[in-house]
Amino acid sequence: MKKSLLVLLGMMMILWLAACSGDGGNEETSGDDNASEETADNGDSEGAESGDEEVTLRIAWWGSQPRHDYTLEVIKLYEEQHPNVTIEPEYASWDDYWQKLAPQAAANELPDIVQMDLSYLSQYAENNQLADLSPFIGSNIDDTNISQNAIDGGKVGDGVYGFNLGVNALSFHYNPEIMSELGYDEFPEEWTWEEYQEISQKAVDAGYYFDNGLKADVFFNYYLRQNGKRLYAEDGSGLGYEDDQLFVDFFKMVQEQVESGATPTPDFLAQLAGPEDDPVVKGEGVGIFQWSNQFVGLEDISESSFEFAPTPGPNVDQGLFLKPSMFFSVSENSEQKEAAADFINFFINDVEANKLILGDRGVPVSSEVKDALLSEVSEAQAKVFEYVAWAEENSTAMGAPDPAGAGEVIELIDGLQEQIAYGEISPEDAATQFRTQAESILGN
Amino acid sequence: MQTNMKQNLWGYLFIGPFVIGFLAFTIIPIVASFYFSFTSYDLFNSPRWVGLQNFKEMFTADPRYLHSLKITFIYVFAGVPLRLLFALIVAMLLNTASRAVGLYRTLYYLPSLIGGSVAVAIMWRNIFGDDGVVNIALMSMGIDPVRWFGDPTAALWMLIFLSIWQFGSSMLIFLAGLKSIPQSYYEAASVDGASFFQKFFSITIPMLSPVILFNAVMQTIGAFMTFVPAFIISKGTGGPLDGTLLYSLYLFKQGFEFFHMGYASAMAWVMLLIIAILTSIIFMTSRFWVHYESEGGK
Repeated sequence: MKKSLLVLLGMMMILWLAACSGDGGNEETSGDDNASEETADNGDSEGAESGDEEVTLRIAWWGSQPRHDYTLEVIKLYEEQHPNVTIEPEYASWDDYWQKLAPQAAANELPDIVQMDLSYLSQYAENNQLADLSPFIGSNIDDTNISQNAIDGGKVGDGVYGFNLGVNALSFHYNPEIMSELGYDEFPEEWTWEEYQEISQKAVDAGYYFDNGLKADVFFNYYLRQNGKRLYAEDGSGLGYEDDQLFVDFFKMVQEQVESGATPTPDFLAQLAGPEDDPVVKGEGVGIFQWSNQFVGLEDISESSFEFAPTPGPNVDQGLFLKPSMFFSVSENSEQKEAAADFINFFINDVEANKLILGDRGVPVSSEVKDALLSEVSEAQAKVFEYVAWAEENSTAMGAPDPAGAGEVIELIDGLQEQIAYGEISPEDAATQFRTQAESILGN
Repeated sequence: MQTNMKQNLWGYLFIGPFVIGFLAFTIIPIVASFYFSFTSYDLFNSPRWVGLQNFKEMFTADPRYLHSLKITFIYVFAGVPLRLLFALIVAMLLNTASRAVGLYRTLYYLPSLIGGSVAVAIMWRNIFGDDGVVNIALMSMGIDPVRWFGDPTAALWMLIFLSIWQFGSSMLIFLAGLKSIPQSYYEAASVDGASFFQKFFSITIPMLSPVILFNAVMQTIGAFMTFVPAFIISKGTGGPLDGTLLYSLYLFKQGFEFFHMGYASAMAWVMLLIIAILTSIIFMTSRFWVHYESEGGK
């Protein structure tokens, strides 16, 4: 019995060893292959000038399928023109993206080029995860056709930590057919929050939703700006308004919209499987409050055509600002910062590349690209350009970027909005809770 | 002596990969997270010692934490017993001699194979959608459709149903346990005129009790650590109204979304403690209901 066990074990060991050495052998040979390739490559690059050096760049972005598709095409275009550069894309949806980025940052493994959002820019920049792009601007990144204002959108402290990929402005995208059914042949030139509620009521009476609600972190900030305040204090250490009545007024209105049926209930919205199910897309709602670059997508998935209207007043110009839609940042741990800057330059300034991008990442910051695109873009995109040009004239400076911790504050206020909509908490209590918790998040 | 050394060397060599993996991916992270749980650590800057503050904050200043703890308890205490009951019923059905039994065993085990996967959770989203199978079935029975993703309680139950549906692994273990009960017991009972339920409660349950204990412990531990379905079904939010914000999901959010790694580590240690306490309670009660043959029925 014992003997046979030993024999069995012995056999297993031999098999295992054989398997191991086989693996080892393979690894060794393949390792050798790689090594020889590498040396060959190095030889090449040493022979040639630095422009031909083999470079591998990792680039990460968030978005939906159309954005993934065209971004991959832009990358292909770049690789064709720069045969020495290989680009490894890493893309995800918004939620997954940030959850993937955090551990990568902690491990100093951030991709060379990282798409950044305003709400996270400070967090990553202040923690020394991102490289200051200032030394590259004017050299690797051509800024001749880009306004200083647009570049400053990516400023944190004294450095530029994200390069603005395009600008956005808040807007109301409405269905003109439904509006005329409600008795408005033209959208009111300057509408106020009171008129907003009046038109909403008409929509309800006619059997329509008016909108999909006002996303708390975005529109509460807009509302505060209209009143001369901001969501965050200029130095980011706390909230930028003192009077909780502003919070109460805004969210009371939001709550009334849900109660009157002008905005779908939160449980209805949660049940929607995707943007295709959206009441506005299905012609059951008048319009939708969102960023200007989302207009084209809205027209794409719905059968109807939409129009632009500004957000409700008064003091629209105080409330509106041009927001960098998103940035490309270069990570501090990248060993190819210059090559990364070159790619960003291509992305921003190359007309051919932008014919693929077509303003999906906001209206291009380069005036040359913008002019070149005007003849290329679809009717829908032209409306976006037109609106952003109007907003440029009718807006005020954005101010300091969102502070570190903004991501958490946004989740907090969106959660409170949800609770208000479900009737779980009164706007008054929510105002107090928001103040205490947000101050403690930002104070850290 | 020399052969001894040599033999030992071989031993170390063979155990090496496991030891290295165990150290690198289990022991060191455990020690590190224990240290982090007493610090304020944002993943970027070095951890700052704060003592017990994380633990204090959890129970005194974080209503969301208490809420996630509550729904996790509901999830575990509703889900695990139902899942075990289901597994046992199916195992007994499959224990009968029928020609198609092999096929059914495979079919019933399948959901567990693809268990924690993203695909299942996505499918679940469709099944429970507005026009999903579940709502169609409810309507055909004259019951109003439920907004599974819009109602926090319903959303939690949807997660519980998902966990019940994945009963395959406990079912297989039950099946093995059932097979080991000697047929002669049942035959003797039949001769004495015992009914099905008498046989079930006097033979099956006692004979199966060690297996039940094993399953109960393993499933409880597993249920506490549920993450993937809650994450996918709520699209990472834990919503609506935090109705599906299971403990691990909140822990993940704290660590990787809000950059509170110290707090997340503290949460992990509290979870360990809770699981340890629950497991010992199950073990302590087990001597009243678990029957080991080798101990002469004690």
